[in-house]
Amino acid sequence: MSLLDYLSAQGDRLLGLTLEHLGIVLISVGISTVIGVALGVATYRTEGPRRVALGVTGIFLTIPSFALFGLLIGPLGLGGGPAVVALVMYGLLPIVRNTITGLRSVDPAIVESAQGMGMARYRRLFRIELPLAWPIILTGIRVAAVIIVGIAAIAAVVNGPGLGKDIFRALARFGTPTAVPQVLSAILGIIAIAIVIDLAFVAIARLTTSKGIRA
Amino acid sequence: MVLAGPPEDQGGVDALSLVAGGTDIFRRSRGVLGLVGLPIALAAAVAVLFLWVGNKQLDSIEQRRVNPEFITNALAEHMALAFTSTILVILIAVPLGIILTRPGARAVMPPVITLANMGQAVPSIGVLVLLALVWDIGFWPAIVALVAYAILPVLRNTMVGLQQVDASVIEAGRGMGMTKGAVLREIELPLAVPVILAGVRTALVINVGTATLATFVNAGGLGDIINGGLVANKQTVIVVGSVLTAAVAMFIDHLGGIAESRLSPKGL
Repeated sequence: MSLLDYLSAQGDRLLGLTLEHLGIVLISVGISTVIGVALGVATYRTEGPRRVALGVTGIFLTIPSFALFGLLIGPLGLGGGPAVVALVMYGLLPIVRNTITGLRSVDPAIVESAQGMGMARYRRLFRIELPLAWPIILTGIRVAAVIIVGIAAIAAVVNGPGLGKDIFRALARFGTPTAVPQVLSAILGIIAIAIVIDLAFVAIARLTTSKGIRA
Repeated sequence: MVLAGPPEDQGGVDALSLVAGGTDIFRRSRGVLGLVGLPIALAAAVAVLFLWVGNKQLDSIEQRRVNPEFITNALAEHMALAFTSTILVILIAVPLGIILTRPGARAVMPPVITLANMGQAVPSIGVLVLLALVWDIGFWPAIVALVAYAILPVLRNTMVGLQQVDASVIEAGRGMGMTKGAVLREIELPLAVPVILAGVRTALVINVGTATLATFVNAGGLGDIINGGLVANKQTVIVVGSVLTAAVAMFIDHLGGIAESRLSPKGL
């Protein structure tokens, strides 16, 4: 069976799995962004906490995904839950790191003049520092998304959703004519998701970058 | 674009190079503690794990996976997978990176970098399963999948490392009468070594992680323990396999970090 035959026969089902995959990626990237940016904002000004935040989130990425999914089965069971938690953990480092880098790259003179104008700490953060750091933070979120798209395929081992299910189904159908087109279509679907997300980030960067610093 | 742009356009981050270096925080303390702090912590974690298991009554299914022989064997298989693939990656990617940065071949560099970045989006489990289906199961197909997946960071870092060498330094070498080969061996490569080593460490950590999935294509490794626990629905086995795998990955990253700082030429 050729890949094209397979795609036309299984198109609807594949589209469903692709949307499922995209869904779990978007949910995980969203949660990872909220936690990651918060961690970055909370730690960027003090060396000790900053190092701990980067160290701990860095260690998450060193842990092989199969082992992390395995560790999460105990407390969280099988399915989407452990999958989302693991994916959120994998997305944290690039987001925390770029939030810290972005906030620290803001010219202190600008922050000081905002302070001189009487802006309070939180107003400075939300009106001045975060908008200036945003392009760098957004790059971190994009990298997190790319990491998460690929690892989400492994979530299928803990009965997680997405195209990974088809990779494992194909493996179970070893030797049958549909096995190869099935795994190929899953891989291509995952690459397609990565490309779509990447393009979406280019658009998001244009739309959300503050006018004054747009290139 | 993350997928298309060179890494330096992304504020220095890209998905692959983040995998290694997580344990560097433990090496920050000076002296002996920086070297043995993490191994001691990991050994303590594994000791706690075995005390916990030792106090449990294991049934026969659990005993089949959680026993010294099975674990040592899985660990040996895992190391064979990770190190064989990393050595092959170095043997292929470093010479290829050198060839691709020679003056005649510079035009191919942007597409190769684009391809290397695109590769980040390919799921490792997909590559493993595809190779198992179209070729065979077992050690060597798994090695090919691991090499294909981990070659990108070393290839890219070799090229980036060689390209960042100051052109005036190369010219000075040529002006002193050094041949092109001598300039490469004595100037370009030593100056590129730190960047190349960072890529090798990344490849090693990726391979340790991906080798966990080799169990699905009958190539063994520590994934055998986790998967055995999953299939038999034995929580204890899953925890033993997962904790051991995580500890091994962190230990290897730690060793990679030590090697990275020790092997970099002094004076850089």
